[in-house]
Amino acid sequence: MNPTLPTDLVTLKEILVIAPMAAMFLISLIPLLLKPFLGNREPNPFTVLVYNFVGLLTAAGLTAAFFGHGFGGKTFAFSNAVVLDGTTVFMSYLVYIATGVGLMLAYEHVATRGRQFTEFCFLMMSSAVGMLILIMANDLIVTFIGIETMSLCLYILVAMSREQTLSKEAAFKYFVLGSFASAIFLYGVALIYGTVGSTYFPDIATEGVKLITTNRVFLVGTVLVTIGFAFKVAVFPLHSWAPDVYQGAATPVTAFMSTAVKAASFVAFLRFFTTDAIALSPHFLGVMTWLAVLTMTIGNVAAVMQNNFKRILAYSSVAHSGYAMIGLITAGFGTNYDAAATSLLFYLFSYTLMTLGTFALICVFEKNENTSLEVNDLRGVGRRYPWLGMSMTILLLSLAGIPPLLGFFAKFYVFSAAIEQDMYWLVFWGAINSVISVYYYLRPIVVMYMMEDENSAASPLMKSQILTRGTVVVTAMLIVVLGLLSSPLFKMVQRSVLNQF
Amino acid sequence: MLLSLVTLLPLAFALVMLLIPRESWIRPVALVLALAEFVISLKLLIDFDKTTPAIQFVEKIPWVPEMGISYFLGLDGLSLWLVLLTTFLMPIVILGSWTAINTKVKGFHVALFILQTAMMGSFVAMDAILFYVFFELSLVPMYFMVGIWGGQRRIYATVKFFIYTMAGSLMMLLAIIYLMFATRDTLGYMSSSLLDFYAIKLPFVAGELMNPQTLLFFAFSLAFAIKVPMFPFHTWLPDAHVEAPTPGSVLLAGVMLKMGSYGFLRFVIPMFAEAAGYYAWVFLFLGVVGIIYGALVAMVQPDIKKLVAYSSVSHMGYVMIGLFALNTYGVTGSLYQMLNHGVSTGALFLLIGMIYERTHNREISKYGGLAKAMPIFTILFVIVTMSSIAVPMTNGFIGEFLILMGTFEASKPFAIAAVTGVVLGAVYMLWMVKRVFFGPPGELVADEHHPLHDINTREMVVMAPLIVLIFWMGLFPTTFLNYSKASIDHFVNNRDNYRLAAPTTISGPSDTKFAAKESR
Repeated sequence: MNPTLPTDLVTLKEILVIAPMAAMFLISLIPLLLKPFLGNREPNPFTVLVYNFVGLLTAAGLTAAFFGHGFGGKTFAFSNAVVLDGTTVFMSYLVYIATGVGLMLAYEHVATRGRQFTEFCFLMMSSAVGMLILIMANDLIVTFIGIETMSLCLYILVAMSREQTLSKEAAFKYFVLGSFASAIFLYGVALIYGTVGSTYFPDIATEGVKLITTNRVFLVGTVLVTIGFAFKVAVFPLHSWAPDVYQGAATPVTAFMSTAVKAASFVAFLRFFTTDAIALSPHFLGVMTWLAVLTMTIGNVAAVMQNNFKRILAYSSVAHSGYAMIGLITAGFGTNYDAAATSLLFYLFSYTLMTLGTFALICVFEKNENTSLEVNDLRGVGRRYPWLGMSMTILLLSLAGIPPLLGFFAKFYVFSAAIEQDMYWLVFWGAINSVISVYYYLRPIVVMYMMEDENSAASPLMKSQILTRGTVVVTAMLIVVLGLLSSPLFKMVQRSVLNQF
Repeated sequence: MLLSLVTLLPLAFALVMLLIPRESWIRPVALVLALAEFVISLKLLIDFDKTTPAIQFVEKIPWVPEMGISYFLGLDGLSLWLVLLTTFLMPIVILGSWTAINTKVKGFHVALFILQTAMMGSFVAMDAILFYVFFELSLVPMYFMVGIWGGQRRIYATVKFFIYTMAGSLMMLLAIIYLMFATRDTLGYMSSSLLDFYAIKLPFVAGELMNPQTLLFFAFSLAFAIKVPMFPFHTWLPDAHVEAPTPGSVLLAGVMLKMGSYGFLRFVIPMFAEAAGYYAWVFLFLGVVGIIYGALVAMVQPDIKKLVAYSSVSHMGYVMIGLFALNTYGVTGSLYQMLNHGVSTGALFLLIGMIYERTHNREISKYGGLAKAMPIFTILFVIVTMSSIAVPMTNGFIGEFLILMGTFEASKPFAIAAVTGVVLGAVYMLWMVKRVFFGPPGELVADEHHPLHDINTREMVVMAPLIVLIFWMGLFPTTFLNYSKASIDHFVNNRDNYRLAAPTTISGPSDTKFAAKESR
């Protein structure tokens, strides 16, 4: 059922479509290649950072340039296995932002800045390349390649922290469980290929409509693929790796992982999920709805009971997967794909921004690579670091969804899309969960501003971390500004989804 | 422009506060700015046209045109006095907290001004989402105010306050979103403007819970009932009041609780007329229970501030029954009682704050014979007490009388039950006054080492406008009621088909892109 392979396999169009990721990959190789020539000495970390930023900016520039000129609408390449459309472009920018911030945090963070910074940066960039593949995948095999490229780099990144126990344990856990998930995913792909005869999304859509109700094997295949995605975005009951891995990994890696990985996986999930096949299955809606409700509830309730700041955020990230799933389910089962997909992408964008800022703040206050920040360590931050304290307050209130911040509008759009499709049950639980989440988002604020500040529990501050602190303040400012003026951003996302440029 | 100026100016003041380099300048500058704000807000009163129920000083700018959300402000007879109450209380609060707030003075005044914008914004917002934004935003500064400058159990109290209020308002958010899609389906364009919400008719089935109007009615009611707070959703209030610093208590009781009752007046009753009529008895019942329960619990409180907090529950019960009497007397009385409660309970909290500053204790049993030690303070306290228990010639009397008249017209049993609250109110307040001010001197009053000083000039200045207002509102209620008459008459007479007029230029879709929205 695949279209016959064209004779000239790689045309100019195809090169242009993958030009951003190719440029990014090639430029990120430069510092790695420099190292042998320097006698295996580590190049100046700042040079490494600059090289990688050049790579990111080149990629962003190429994305902007090609998409603006002649690539409006959807462009298929490599026998339709990849698609370049508005969603791809928007999410590419999100990946560039998250990677850039991740690199900046890593440059200044005690657990990652060291002997292997060159390799660290290269792996992060490669992981980003995997994400770029993932978000433009229009085929299950390409999706799998994307997921694996992204994940393999991440397994190493998690292990590369200077911290010796937790990070190794986390990496191992992540690797074993991730491999299982990949295997399950691949098994699902095999079953789908066996029944449909193709792994190409549009084929699955056209054939699946018939097969979903008649063919059990195809159904099992879709379920297995869904499980694979659910693992990557940490949906209940496949979320339990998230807290351990998020806590064990060096904080810059966690920041990168909880934002870019989640966003990219969600987009691939969206592309697979909105092949009409799934919407026609009689039980899928119920199962997915309950998974979303449980993801939100378990994430939030578990976060309430944590003391470690990174674990709180890990569970909060699980809960946010649940909110994002409201958008996903609405897109998959509703009649108004555009509105739902727009709300989902908007949600992912705002979630990324808020989470990056919060993790950047954790980076600022981590004493050394071996101690993980407890909420109570933040005592006195509000008084001693007014800017950081204020930014942190904004970030947390936005995560809790207090208007007029960006997080509120993200939830508002997701809830609106779901209410339009009469999915009241989902939205009801979304609202209940927002209330639960307020409790733990307020806790750091309580500690920062309202608890007596004892000298013994002084706020740790490693050294002057201009970039990290800048990230905290800039993300907080952006959240306020984009919250008050959410309309232009919403319009931009809407145009991306509708492929109108 | 004027309304935006009045609403957003405090936000600018908050920024000014941030830029003030010296701590000692903060209070004077804040006071001057708050007074300036009050003077500017008087311009609203002067320009206000009392003859029309239409909204005035209207401003409408598209905010999120994709969803039909606009920055839409307007003022009418229902909201005018609440805005002025806010601007009036602000300088009083700043002057009243002159010595009470000693730490983080800058942060405190920033929070105060942000709170002012949030509170006034929710009174003048004519767009449901804009209202929601202000309504929720008001939680944040109050949260900090209680949490940072509050008493012993401040963190428990402030978190409870935040979560309670937020829990109620999130259901309201869902209801607002539902209504926005309802406007799209019936009017052809999506809008969150209140004027459009009034225009849509929602199906109502009497006696059945699962129909849109009833569910939305209860979703909105829950949010506002928690804010008011109505029995049995009142439990956050005593905690928040007791732990809040004096200025926080004054604003919480004086203005923030009114955001709830105003919500009933602006949203619930006009938008869901049938449901409100059908379920009015629920609110009358809970209101009456609140009146009696609040009074009985207040009676046994050992802490003066907690006593006043429970008296708030009782007083807000009156406001609720007046609103759900659904007639002119009741609604007028409720609106008046909202102002009265703001003035008299605000004054009570200020007075309690003054005595607390001197003794750092609020236990009734430790006082006694205060009248000898602080005669002027006693006179002021007794006057405010009279206002609180609605003695004729004070403002409280007018409000309660109108409410009881309205309730009598609507339902005699509830009115009779509510009247007992008047007696109980006198009991707990007067008993408290007797125990604190008369009788043998208590341990704090008799303490030779810490003689109590009577109130100073600053405190006199703080109290003077409130005392004047208590009598002015009690003797010449028409000064105030005339402004609201047209709006209230319109509200009551057109309850089944409530519409608010606005200048023609701003009605209808604010953006042509809406039309295309239908195919979305």
